[in-house]
Amino acid sequence: MLTLLSMFYYICLRRRSRSGTRGEALTSRRAVESGHRATLPISVEVEQYAKEVLDFSSHYGSENSMSYTMWNLAGMPNVYPSSGDFTQTAVFRAYGTWWEQCVSAPLPFRRTPKAFHSQDYIELAFEEPVYPTAVEVLETYHPGAIVQIMACSLNPFSQNPPTDVRWEVLWAEEPTRVLTPQARQFSPSITQLSFPTNLIRVEVNSSLLKYYTELDAVVLRGQKERPILSLYKMPRIDICDLSDSDEELSDPGVSFRQAGDGKHINLGNGYFDKLPYELIQLIVSHLTLPDLCRLTQTCKLLHQHCCDPLQYIQLSLQPYWARLSDTSLGHLQGRCTLLQRLNLSWTGNRGALTLTGFSSFMKACGGSLVCLELSCCHFLSEPCLEVISQTCPGLQELNLSSCDRLHPQAFTHISKLTRLRRLVLYRTKIEQTAMLSILTFCIELRHLNLGSCVMIEDYDVVASMLAVRCRSLRSLDLWRCRNLTERGLAELAAGCRLLEELDLGWCSTLQSSSGCFQHLARNLQCLRKLFLTANRTVCDSDIEELAANCPALQHLDILGTRMVSSSSLRKLLQACPKLLLLDVSFCAQVDARIVQELCGLFPNVAIKKSFTQ
Amino acid sequence: MFSVLSYGRLVTRAVIGGLSQTDSRDYSLVTARCGFEKDFRKGILKKGMCYGDDACFIARHRSADVLGVADGVGGWRDYGVDPSQFSGTLMKTCERLVKEGRFVPSNPVGVLTSSYYELLQNKVPLLGSSTACIVVLDRRSHRLHTANLGDSGFLVVRGGEVVHRSDEQQHYFNTPFQLSIAPPEAEGAVLSDSPDAADSSSFDVQLGDIILTATDGLFDNMPEHMILQELKKLKKTNYESIQQTARSIAEQAHVLAYDPNYMSPFAQFACDNGLNVRGGKPDDITVLLSIVAEYTD
Repeated sequence: MLTLLSMFYYICLRRRSRSGTRGEALTSRRAVESGHRATLPISVEVEQYAKEVLDFSSHYGSENSMSYTMWNLAGMPNVYPSSGDFTQTAVFRAYGTWWEQCVSAPLPFRRTPKAFHSQDYIELAFEEPVYPTAVEVLETYHPGAIVQIMACSLNPFSQNPPTDVRWEVLWAEEPTRVLTPQARQFSPSITQLSFPTNLIRVEVNSSLLKYYTELDAVVLRGQKERPILSLYKMPRIDICDLSDSDEELSDPGVSFRQAGDGKHINLGNGYFDKLPYELIQLIVSHLTLPDLCRLTQTCKLLHQHCCDPLQYIQLSLQPYWARLSDTSLGHLQGRCTLLQRLNLSWTGNRGALTLTGFSSFMKACGGSLVCLELSCCHFLSEPCLEVISQTCPGLQELNLSSCDRLHPQAFTHISKLTRLRRLVLYRTKIEQTAMLSILTFCIELRHLNLGSCVMIEDYDVVASMLAVRCRSLRSLDLWRCRNLTERGLAELAAGCRLLEELDLGWCSTLQSSSGCFQHLARNLQCLRKLFLTANRTVCDSDIEELAANCPALQHLDILGTRMVSSSSLRKLLQACPKLLLLDVSFCAQVDARIVQELCGLFPNVAIKKSFTQ
Repeated sequence: MFSVLSYGRLVTRAVIGGLSQTDSRDYSLVTARCGFEKDFRKGILKKGMCYGDDACFIARHRSADVLGVADGVGGWRDYGVDPSQFSGTLMKTCERLVKEGRFVPSNPVGVLTSSYYELLQNKVPLLGSSTACIVVLDRRSHRLHTANLGDSGFLVVRGGEVVHRSDEQQHYFNTPFQLSIAPPEAEGAVLSDSPDAADSSSFDVQLGDIILTATDGLFDNMPEHMILQELKKLKKTNYESIQQTARSIAEQAHVLAYDPNYMSPFAQFACDNGLNVRGGKPDDITVLLSIVAEYTD
């Protein structure tokens, strides 16, 4: 009896177990077929806010401050989901096309690729490297500026020196107009990366925006483990890869046939042989730089055309900042002997360019150089500036914007560039003695930008020197120059009568009661741009003097004053027919109704009124 | 003989070790707040840490616990300026500075200076003035660093007795030192003290020390002995007991403020200066009550 039961039991168990295993086998096969990871652990998604802001090209706020500065982009959001103009956000220095319309704006470089729109950037480091699945940017005011998001293979917190620094584009698009100034969470679909990253770079273009864009936080979502079965695209052949395409042509090509007398006869270029040299040059001048470099490898004729120094009168390497290295400069060196305008802004960081590579390039190509853009070039050191001063005697334009790691001593070499007409030192650490020395020797200065130069102790002395030495000055940017007083301003107005643009934003030591603004208006009749941002003392009589004396006025910013009424603004708008921009944000007497009324009466003027609610 | 010496050495070492053992634990402040605005008929519920024209903040950082109170000067109301805007923004800015680590625990005056500088960086033209009192506990060194500008202040109570008390800073009667931002037309006429004028002090604290930070609404209505009496009732160091005690102190002061016959410290001071007055002083009251405890995450 028992044996029967046990046998029965045993058979039932066996049957159940067998069906069990068969069932399991079925499910696992189904699992494999459908591509699910049935037995592997699910990857955990990590969400992080930025830990630290590593680098950026510009910001609105002051260097020691946490108001409107780029450092606010790290950490958790302070403002989102509210919209408005708040101090706890990250704000860039400029917006719209107003700065491009200025006399002080540099000419655009030829051969700028159509896909390159970036005007400003910010680099953020996160705690943990992940394979990104999403990047969200919390924009709290006038969104829509972001045009590119990139990721780097380097871990900025690791102690090991960088071996191979690769930047991949996660997302890129043309600037689009966003109609509302309200806050939004911007989360574009990003491509998949083949390496983990904790260094993200956001590039912006604010030219379509109606006011300053403000960013609150950036969220990086990703997985710690590499996604195994997910399809990832083959690494795109990046057209920005210059280093590969700079190889010299070694093979002379098969287009030659040796003639009887031993000379090579060029036979194989077809109709290209019939075209005039200048015509091929013209055709080739429309190619972007990587295409030009690739074309050199095709055949000897085109190699000759593409390496012709006449193709390299203007050279902009800024769109290719991620790929530029000493080797690339070395390859380009031979072709750039007639170089007049060179743009190396944003390049060379994290060891990509060194003193040796830079000096050898400048020695080869600096002879005819007229314009040199070196914005945000952190590889620059004092010897680099010395090389520039020695190899570029004819230099007229020098841009060292945001080179804040450059030692103050380096700026003394600039005084050797006596033909300088345009000098941008925004956010650099230049000191008083170097500045005065530059002003003593560079008397042809037309455009000078000393915005946020915090190490200059006494701006009155600088202004007075400008008035004496640089009388052909056309534009002067003294944004956030803390200690300029009415004395310095009076001397400036008396000496530099040709001034067309003057930015005195956030210069809190200027008092309207001293009459300095009225004196300014009476002396500078050619004035086209005047920024008196956050000078709380600007009053009606100042505006009336501007109306009476400065008919050429185009841009005026009087943000934050309580003492200007709508009647004086009306007088100004009537007297200055060329006025295009008027910023009356936070002006207590000018409310939204008045702004609307003025907009109706003067439709050509963009009247800006920011808000915090 | 030999064993006696070796034993003796061991014992001595143990005793000395026990006596001189510095407390390596981090300290922290367990803080509760309570307050009443002067004119509750207004009924506007200010969001956050504002009581009428008073404002306060409590912030934590990895290295320190920081508290602050600010008393907005009410006279601005006559000129169309909301006095609570300045004190509220000042305290919020201090809180943000602390949370982002932009301060040095041993320099609370620096917190005031940086915060005042940040107020000037705001696009919105802020106007107004206020007193300020900042208290910083450095977790590791167990030291309390304070900065006081004006007539707000703090008390440190140990074992039922006041061991430290801040001094009031007054220019003249009822005109304390104050941080201010004035409209340009009134530049010379408005009292504006620099943050550097703040009194600062530093001293060690022990576990169980009670720190009371408050605006003059409390100190002008409740003398020290009455405050100490209330604090004696604080038996436990948990948040709820501290909250209860803070509330009872603030309530008592609030009641006394409206008592016309009570000889308040404010009335006493006025009498000492030749003004024959009696009664409490109706004012915004802000009380921050903290106990020094061990740091727990």
